[in-house]
Amino acid sequence: MPEITLEAEVGRPLGSRPTRRLRTDGKIPGVIYGHGTDPVAVAVVARDLRIALSGESGSNTLLSLQAGDKTFLTLAREMQRHPVKGTVIHVDFQIVRRDEIIAAEVPITLIGEALEVHHGEGLVDQQLFNLPVRAKPADIPTVIEVDVTDLTIGASLRIADITLPSGVSTELEDDVAIVIGQAPRVVTLEEDEGAAEGEAEGEGAEGEAAAGEAGAEGSGAAEGGGGEG
Amino acid sequence: MLMPRKVRHRKQQRGRLNGMAKGGTSVNFGDFGIQALEPGWLTARQIEAARIAMTRHVKRGGKVWIRVFPDKPVTEKPAETRMGSGKGNPEHWVAVVRPGRMLFELAGVDRELAQAAMNRAIQKLPIKARFVVRPGTHGEPEVSV
Repeated sequence: MPEITLEAEVGRPLGSRPTRRLRTDGKIPGVIYGHGTDPVAVAVVARDLRIALSGESGSNTLLSLQAGDKTFLTLAREMQRHPVKGTVIHVDFQIVRRDEIIAAEVPITLIGEALEVHHGEGLVDQQLFNLPVRAKPADIPTVIEVDVTDLTIGASLRIADITLPSGVSTELEDDVAIVIGQAPRVVTLEEDEGAAEGEAEGEGAEGEAAAGEAGAEGSGAAEGGGGEG
Repeated sequence: MLMPRKVRHRKQQRGRLNGMAKGGTSVNFGDFGIQALEPGWLTARQIEAARIAMTRHVKRGGKVWIRVFPDKPVTEKPAETRMGSGKGNPEHWVAVVRPGRMLFELAGVDRELAQAAMNRAIQKLPIKARFVVRPGTHGEPEVSV
């Protein structure tokens, strides 16, 4: 796996207001830690980080972080995001060694067309989107492809059904489902109409009950009945 | 409609709607989602109306997840009642939503159909919301900074 060199600025001011100013200047605050070293507060240029992590390996890209006079081999971990904008507001850089086995999450991609499921109007329901793996940094796969061509309705593809590259293992149990061929949703429209009718009836009943019984308990019970009916 | 089976206290105070959503802000189950952009209360009726709008547009196939639950009772005093005599009666249930919260998720349909269905669902909601796609799928980048 090729590593990408990234400049990191050390000695950034700490605290919420200086950090906010840092973000306005197009930088992302972060921290470098791992292997018993003291954590180092750094700041990286947002554009450079985006370019570095937009490669094939995504967030599992090896980053050679030049912080001051030191260079750290790191992986970007635990990216905190803004809840609405989705931009990264903080990033952790974990120091790794090339010869140690580390934990990483690899995206799972479905390939092929599950014709039997589509012909039966079923649904290919992906249960697992990222696979937690353990491997040396250079061995971490960019993506794990799962072929769903032979998937049938009611069947599933599990961890035991995929072949991981050499040097890569996962801690998940063999019977954890990755993708399921779900049966078609045939009664949903009827259910919807039934629910709508039930609601209308329920509203009527609620009104009558409210008229008959003056009290919170009465209206609560009627509302409950309306919801179930 | 969604409502709690039983509650410890029948009436609640209104609370505040400051700040952003603390969790539940990413697409976790499906491929597409509706994300709230404003704070507000979603009633059980509005949630159900949005769900029906979405499932009817999708017609067949597809799986819908509702990521919010109306667990807050809202009380109202009867019409033409004098003030006083205590708090009103619980009338409906709402979900408290802050900006960023994922409201619905959808899987098993293509992007165009999902967007059309979710735009219809957004019309049923009292707050601004937007259509979002799971990163790394349907042409969306895995990492966006």
